[in-house]
Amino acid sequence: MNKKTINIPIGSQHISLLEPVRFKFECENEKIIGVDSDVGFVHRGIEKACTQKFKFDAVGYVVARVCGLCAITHSLSYTASIEKLLEAEISQKAKYLRIMLLELDRIHSHMLCLSHTCENAGFEAMFMRIMGDREDIMEIQELLTGNRVQFDYISIGGVNRDLSLEMSKKISQKLELVKQKVFGYIDEFTNNWSLSLKFKGIGALSLDEAFRFNAIGPLARASGMNVDVRNEIDYLPFNEVGYKIQTHSDGDINARNVVRLNEILNSIEMCENILEGLPEGEIFTKVKGKPNGEAIVRFEAPRGELMYYVKGNGKAMLERVRIKTPTFASIPAFSHIFVGENYADAPAILASFDPCLSCTAK
Amino acid sequence: MIKIEVSLENVIDKIKEFYKEKEWHFLTLNGVSLEDNKVEIQWIFSKYEAMDEVVTFYAKINYDEIVPSIVDIIPSAIISQREIVDMFGVQVEGSSKGLYLDEDSLQTPLACKS
Repeated sequence: MNKKTINIPIGSQHISLLEPVRFKFECENEKIIGVDSDVGFVHRGIEKACTQKFKFDAVGYVVARVCGLCAITHSLSYTASIEKLLEAEISQKAKYLRIMLLELDRIHSHMLCLSHTCENAGFEAMFMRIMGDREDIMEIQELLTGNRVQFDYISIGGVNRDLSLEMSKKISQKLELVKQKVFGYIDEFTNNWSLSLKFKGIGALSLDEAFRFNAIGPLARASGMNVDVRNEIDYLPFNEVGYKIQTHSDGDINARNVVRLNEILNSIEMCENILEGLPEGEIFTKVKGKPNGEAIVRFEAPRGELMYYVKGNGKAMLERVRIKTPTFASIPAFSHIFVGENYADAPAILASFDPCLSCTAK
Repeated sequence: MIKIEVSLENVIDKIKEFYKEKEWHFLTLNGVSLEDNKVEIQWIFSKYEAMDEVVTFYAKINYDEIVPSIVDIIPSAIISQREIVDMFGVQVEGSSKGLYLDEDSLQTPLACKS
């Protein structure tokens, strides 16, 4: 007898999704046997705007609008591409401040992902607890940049705001508070029996599959891949401030949660080291000229590798800006993971991918 | 960045010969509009655990030429192949329009065709 299949859509508007993406699941009873995805609901044409509407020195502020969560990573990747083409040298102090903002992006983005993963697994109290604690990081970002989201902090040649001693003390206190809370999350995520039923052995991606689907970011590291762009670039001195790669071997939702929790702790440690050993000097160096030639720059965004390709011709308007975002590159891996899982687990699996459609439909 | 010129006839063989799954990471497929109604298609790779080692295969083609698909070698390339189809209006083997645009859309937002 043929088994009956049913098609169940999640999205583009759905209670377990904050983003306009649609997954169409083909299910045989409870089991997902096929997945189709649609990500093209809100394409904004930012790549075209970067070459048609704005001069190269303004584009860094345009691409900061690609994503509210990793705005710093976008503006930093673009700015580093231009600095590469102009052979600009920036001060050590600006480099350290850039790392601090990059890591703060990672901390609050990972906290958002962990909270949604709990919410989609039915643990709403944990969702509210993490989102409440995340406010401390948003306040640090506001203190440093003037904004809670959409930061215009990175500029070609350095950063736009300096860090005072008083700000530094406030940030240290808040980071210490968040660190203590993260230890509490680790206890909850590793020892809560209900959560273990929802997360352990669910939505797994093996190491071989991770390589085959070119997995990146926490998704790849949770499957045991030793990949992190912070290890593969030298624009910023990550190793000087205590960066350590975090991996896991299980590849399931729990492994992705553990990798993110450990990365939050490492990012806090990096920020603390920066506050303790921030070099003296200017935060901004004047950069002259117009970009000519091609450059590719990669940074490790909270969700994985972000790539900018920039082509200039010596004029104020660029010829091409290509943005390859982490979620966009991971969609084939996401679709593969769903197959064979129970439909009831789909929302928690989806949240554990930490998809960002604002980045994808740039 | 190392750039290697290929033709549409030999790109599959070149990538097959070059690509080792656990050594190279496929970054993306990129398109750049050129003068004279041409477009440069780029297949961009980076080496795992190496310091900023990026290799780009590229082919300069006419908009009406058909780009071969690398999905059999790199399954995750499907998404960037579909993006190139939408944005530049080029044809990529086995990749349909409709990722970002409507399936019957006549727009090609990033193509500079006269």
